[in-house]
Amino acid sequence: MAINIRMRGKAKGGVAEVKALIKHEMESGARMNKKTGKPYPAKFINNVKVTVNGVEAVNSDWSGAVSANPYMAIMLNANSGDEVKVSLTDNTGDTGEQTLKV
Amino acid sequence: MKRRSFLKGTLATGAAAVAVNAGLLTPSTVLADWNAKAFAAKTTDDALNSVYGSAAAAASGDIKLKAPAIAENGAVTPVTVDATSMSGVESIAILASKNPMPLVCTYNFGAAAQGYVSTRIKMGETMNVIAIVKAGGKLFKAEQEVKVTIGGCGG
Repeated sequence: MAINIRMRGKAKGGVAEVKALIKHEMESGARMNKKTGKPYPAKFINNVKVTVNGVEAVNSDWSGAVSANPYMAIMLNANSGDEVKVSLTDNTGDTGEQTLKV
Repeated sequence: MKRRSFLKGTLATGAAAVAVNAGLLTPSTVLADWNAKAFAAKTTDDALNSVYGSAAAAASGDIKLKAPAIAENGAVTPVTVDATSMSGVESIAILASKNPMPLVCTYNFGAAAQGYVSTRIKMGETMNVIAIVKAGGKLFKAEQEVKVTIGGCGG
């Protein structure tokens, strides 16, 4: 299942603050289901990559302690018209990606 | 046949683990994905040792760590780490000191990125948020206590 990402950001003076809002439950695997006494199976995004014009700028690893529906903001050295791409993978192998022209 | 392939598999992973231990392969190249050991570590020091190979970080006033003094809902604690005033920032890690597994996330930066991260993390109780910044091969840190009124690890 593709993971939904919404991105926003504008380059200004060679710097772009790019914000991404990701739709994901971020289940850490530690939360108990009170009815069955078993934990909910872990499902969280564990790798996020950001590229600017195809060149890797940020490589980030996450744990289940990142909030549900994660928000991420980063600062990139990018000029207007550059293509910023966010791609992510969760621990069950689901992926998502989104590109944005800053 | 099954047994044979099973043995083969264990041997192969065993060899890879030995290679990592011997320092032949850096963990980041072997595990392009995920540093499971660091994220499973129970203490901040253990986590930092597995990520950066050291837990000795000097406090630095150049790191701007922005987190609420009181978080009403620990499940969504906004945290911003701003190290743009430092030069040569290679990596930022965010830890929550008393979470069962303190390491929350690590960010490694390439040339096109600046040392800045803003995100939202889960916190189970009142504790310190720790930001670790690796710049110029050295570790720096900033810490701030966040009072949590409703824990976030259960929901």
